[in-house]
Amino acid sequence: MKVITFRQLRHRWRLYLLVLPAIALVCTFSYFPAATAVFRSFYRWDGDEISEYIGLENFYRALTDPVLGHSFYLVMILILSNFIKMIPSIITAVVIHRIASERGRYLYRVLFVIPMIIPGMVALLIWKYFYDPTVGVLNGLLNSTGLMALLQHVDDWFGWRVFVENANPAWLGHPKLIIPSLIFWGFPWVGVVGVLLYLAGLGNIEQDIYDAAEIDGCGWLRKFWNIELPLILTQIRLNLILMIIGTLQGWGLIFILLGDSGGPAGVGMVPGLYMFRKAFRESEAGYACGIGLLLFFLTLALTVINNRYVRVKK
Amino acid sequence: MTDAVTGYMRAKTRRGRLNELTKHAFVLAVLVFSFYPLYMMLNISFKTNKQFYHQPWWPTWPMYPANYSLGWETVGAAIPNTIYLAVMQTMGVLAVALLASYVFARYRLPGHNLFWSALMILLMMPGVANMVPLFTLLRSLGLLNSYTGLIVPAIAGGQVFNIFILRNYLEDTPEELFEAAEMDGAGALRQIWNIVIPMNGSVLATLACLSFIGGWNDFLLPLLIMRDPARLPIAVSLYRLEGAYVREWGPTMAAYAISAIPMIILFIFTMRFFIRGVAAGALKG
Repeated sequence: MKVITFRQLRHRWRLYLLVLPAIALVCTFSYFPAATAVFRSFYRWDGDEISEYIGLENFYRALTDPVLGHSFYLVMILILSNFIKMIPSIITAVVIHRIASERGRYLYRVLFVIPMIIPGMVALLIWKYFYDPTVGVLNGLLNSTGLMALLQHVDDWFGWRVFVENANPAWLGHPKLIIPSLIFWGFPWVGVVGVLLYLAGLGNIEQDIYDAAEIDGCGWLRKFWNIELPLILTQIRLNLILMIIGTLQGWGLIFILLGDSGGPAGVGMVPGLYMFRKAFRESEAGYACGIGLLLFFLTLALTVINNRYVRVKK
Repeated sequence: MTDAVTGYMRAKTRRGRLNELTKHAFVLAVLVFSFYPLYMMLNISFKTNKQFYHQPWWPTWPMYPANYSLGWETVGAAIPNTIYLAVMQTMGVLAVALLASYVFARYRLPGHNLFWSALMILLMMPGVANMVPLFTLLRSLGLLNSYTGLIVPAIAGGQVFNIFILRNYLEDTPEELFEAAEMDGAGALRQIWNIVIPMNGSVLATLACLSFIGGWNDFLLPLLIMRDPARLPIAVSLYRLEGAYVREWGPTMAAYAISAIPMIILFIFTMRFFIRGVAAGALKG
């Protein structure tokens, strides 16, 4: 690492030219829009010509907006469920790691990469088809295994009025089913990149440690808790941060599955989608920028909390 | 060895074998679920609507490969478009990020920390908050409905992640190599071309893969700025196809499958890099 002082800059200033493209691009397409967003959040702005300074009104409005409130509630549910949905990847990685044969481990690794060839959009649309009320796989499966009858009994018992006889539940169409469907989406929740990352972390464990644990009579759970989990905590934390940011800001999934209204009665509305609607469908771009700012601070707060409390010992 | 000991050993290996079987069974079960969407896509893509309503689960005869030519009519045009977009994005992202990470890895310039944190703080910035101003920016630059308007923001958006990863790798390149090159009078660009790129092939291939996959999946920005149906990238075409009123399941699924073909080709050539790259990236991360 060479330290370049101000005096040496006379000969070395060209190095700045190499950083310049990246910085210029980032300034133009990230910082400038971000600054505009902050500025515009104090305006009544239609995204075009009409704009009028209104002070903090957008923020007052956001804090009392029931639709926005509900969307934040939903996003918290989704973050919690996505947190739980991280577990299958961890378990799968640990199980693959513990398989004795080297060839088996490599083969599984390769096999897990293959479903990645499905483009993201296609995966979503196929799941949308799975949820289809009349021809979808999920209802077909429930009907043919008799689980649907069971669900109807349970429904009778609790009085949900969701699973009724002779009618297929519309997973993405019934207000009470939308949130469960959004949570169930992507079953069995094993992410390729996640598994590969965890496997890489697990690969650092020396065989000696296992042998020592074996002699001490460690069971499989103890081994997981004391040897394997600490080694992949870095990766888990990284995935956790990325998941939280992604879930808070994500709206593509909901947009594709439920449309831009967030499904019937707006049950599936998330903040990102609400922003999109306000800005591009209802010409309230200023308000959308205000929501974006709130979202930024929330992201920041959660990231800071995560960095502070989910600490990893190196 | 006494009988008791061999008996113990035998019991232990038997238990070990059972253990191994359980693990394999678990992984296989997970794999079955992971492959299920892929299977259903291919399965339905060979069916007529009638066959599909009658028997969606298993393959039916006769199969209708003709669905694929119908599917091609709907998304075929989007494939070269998207390949162009994804390739341009990938090359742009890597070229710009390589230059910057070379400097960040080798030198401490005045302002180093400022530049570095200016990049890293973007990891936390919600892209979604920038959406509206980005749209108006592209509009005032006259880039709406143009590929430049898709490629350039994507290059900008990829910088942080790629510089972050590349810098880690570049720092491990032996300094003597650079010094020797400098003795021979090679400038920064020559050094990047002759030393950095050949020595970091694996990570560059991984990053290129990720970037290409990202470009292939790009949906929201094109949805916002592209108006011309003939020039849509694949994700938006598929989305519009799904919204079509009359649903022909066979050709629709065939179109889905067609949209995966470039990914399959990419996968065949780069899988090894990819698996190794992700593994190595984790160690550094």
